[in-house]
Amino acid sequence: MPSLLKLMMLEEYRLHVSHSSRRMFMAMPIYVFVLTFFFAGSFPNLQTGMPLSDMLTLALGGVFIYGVSVGAFGFMGHTDIERRYGKVNLIIAMPFLLPLSFRSTFFGMYLRDTIFYTILILGPAFCGVLLASVFAHYALISCLMLFSSMFLAFLFGISLSFAISVLYTRSSAAFGVAVAAFGALMAGFGIFHAYPLGYIIPPIGLELSSTPFMHDPGAVLLYLTVSVIAVILFTTFAVLMVKQEYESTKSQYVEVFSRYKLMTKFAGSYQTLLAKEFVDIIRSGMLKKIGFAYVAPLLFLSFTTWYVNNGLKIPVGFNSVFYAGMVGFFGVMLYSWLTNIDLTDYFETLPVNVPSVIKAKLIAFFILTSIISTIFVLGISVLNNEMRLLWLALPVLYITGAYMVLATAYLTGLSTNSFLFDPNIMMKFTAMALVPDFGITMLSLSIDSSPLISAAGIGVVLVFVSAFSWYFYRGLERKWARQAFT
Amino acid sequence: MPVVEVDLITKKYGSFTALDNISFKVEKGDFFGCFGPNGAGKSTLLKIMTGQIQPTGGRCSVLGLDPSASSIEVKKAIGIVPEVESPPSYLTASEFLQFVCSIRKVDDADKRIDYWMDFFDLAESKGTLCRDLSKGMRQKVMLSAAFIHEPKLLFLDEPFINLDPIYQHKLKDYLLALRDEGRTVFLCSHILETAQKLCHNVIILDHGHLALNSSIEAITSKGEDLETAFLRLVGSVYAKPS
Repeated sequence: MPSLLKLMMLEEYRLHVSHSSRRMFMAMPIYVFVLTFFFAGSFPNLQTGMPLSDMLTLALGGVFIYGVSVGAFGFMGHTDIERRYGKVNLIIAMPFLLPLSFRSTFFGMYLRDTIFYTILILGPAFCGVLLASVFAHYALISCLMLFSSMFLAFLFGISLSFAISVLYTRSSAAFGVAVAAFGALMAGFGIFHAYPLGYIIPPIGLELSSTPFMHDPGAVLLYLTVSVIAVILFTTFAVLMVKQEYESTKSQYVEVFSRYKLMTKFAGSYQTLLAKEFVDIIRSGMLKKIGFAYVAPLLFLSFTTWYVNNGLKIPVGFNSVFYAGMVGFFGVMLYSWLTNIDLTDYFETLPVNVPSVIKAKLIAFFILTSIISTIFVLGISVLNNEMRLLWLALPVLYITGAYMVLATAYLTGLSTNSFLFDPNIMMKFTAMALVPDFGITMLSLSIDSSPLISAAGIGVVLVFVSAFSWYFYRGLERKWARQAFT
Repeated sequence: MPVVEVDLITKKYGSFTALDNISFKVEKGDFFGCFGPNGAGKSTLLKIMTGQIQPTGGRCSVLGLDPSASSIEVKKAIGIVPEVESPPSYLTASEFLQFVCSIRKVDDADKRIDYWMDFFDLAESKGTLCRDLSKGMRQKVMLSAAFIHEPKLLFLDEPFINLDPIYQHKLKDYLLALRDEGRTVFLCSHILETAQKLCHNVIILDHGHLALNSSIEAITSKGEDLETAFLRLVGSVYAKPS
């Protein structure tokens, strides 16, 4: 296993470097370090708006969701195996040729990503917090505790995701039950507040039981033990459930392309490409993936928002408008999946360029997200009894969602996953995402106290965001027209 | 006027030179072969001529167009079989051909799809996704996609690869018919015996350099066949010790 892991790490490193450069790749931890340093340093100022415990709950929740999005090895491994005949031939497919088991390569993938993201993201983030502690006077033990909780939240997310996604490869019904069970647990916390969030995500309980919030060594030990055991159990279950033989099922399919083409007539010159996108989305099982890794985080965000407002009775003013702005962020993940459904080499043989394919994916994205996101914003408005804010929340949702995905498409083209590891692009992306989102968040918090000023301010932000969206859309042709598909 | 004109084309990847000042012309109706050992630069050259990648230096003209600046226009007029058989994973063979016809705005698409499905015996795989087809079947799909709009100019990178002897023979007959019709074909291949029967003119590349630019007739008039000339020029590994 050590030599296999070493090779898989090298493979992952080279894959990322091939999309930027060694220097840019190595700059990623520095970027994370600097960003975390400034955020951690400004915690004392931010605390006037929100208690530290809630900020850290949201941060740990975010790390957990990050782990969930990274750890869907059941889906990703399957994709990588199926691509063994394409240009990308990864070690995970080697059990077809060498005396290796899929269990060992999948476990290697799990260890590889855990180490990779810990070194690249979590470690530098911890160093940033440590340096900030010198200026903000945080206790070293609190920093160490926070890092432990974050590391465990990441492990908890990645191993849970690994287990559930591998379950999908065995039985889609069992997968559905697992996702429904997770949704029910979140509902128990969010709607009925029957138990704290730490009961579902133990590393959050661990953080909130320790200094500076509480000093309860018994609870700390209990949450720590439960977290570690859960990670071990999820990982063991996932590894044992990995299929030993990956033979394509070779199902027979009814021809649907021409029917889809008729249905996508509205897309004009993108009709053919859009029809193909939808065939890909349906046949690749991406809808199930959306159900797991797109809807679940939205559910988490919905319940957290509702809980902070109603469960904790904290008057931080999270409302539907704030929430609508947040939903745009999740859209980036969905666009990234759309760019990763299949290899695009064959387009090189056809009179099609990269911007046309990007635009077809954007249309598919808008169709998918407008339905799901609208349902969520409507849902959160009903939950928070804020139907009166829908007139503002829905435009915020559509305009920020479009802005985020157009900014992503403009910056990363058809290689979103890889380019977001390029710190140069990541920095531009962060600036493009944070500035308008910060404006909308701040203004949305005062929607009840100063509705006119808040709505006018949001309106101005939306006008600017729309103008930039148009710039990015127009820029797609200029930036990507000469880009090769391979 | 030549349909393809390559003038001092150079392609560099960092410090590695894949192609070094390559020049040649392909006339209308020519069946033109490009040969060389692995890594000689054949596929790189084909990708430059079809607008898939940009050259580092030199210029290239295909049907009077610059593939670097007008790759879409060039691709509309030509047919390409790439080195890797990679049709889209989630379409069936028939759906992929419908997709290609739709992108290329081909008239009587259904008739042509039926013809190629029948020609390569793809009909038996109706309903099977391309990802589940064998390598040979996927190659047949890519060949059909390149031929379906009956282009005036074809770029074929290892078209015989993964095909069984029956379909290699069938494809060779089809290419011979194209040659007789006067259509222009640019062929990269390692199967020199077949290539000699098909090609009028050839180039041989070696480590990015042009080792030979000649007609088959000129080669055979010296009492050599293509394979012997190839081994003499680039096959030093086979040279007998003196």
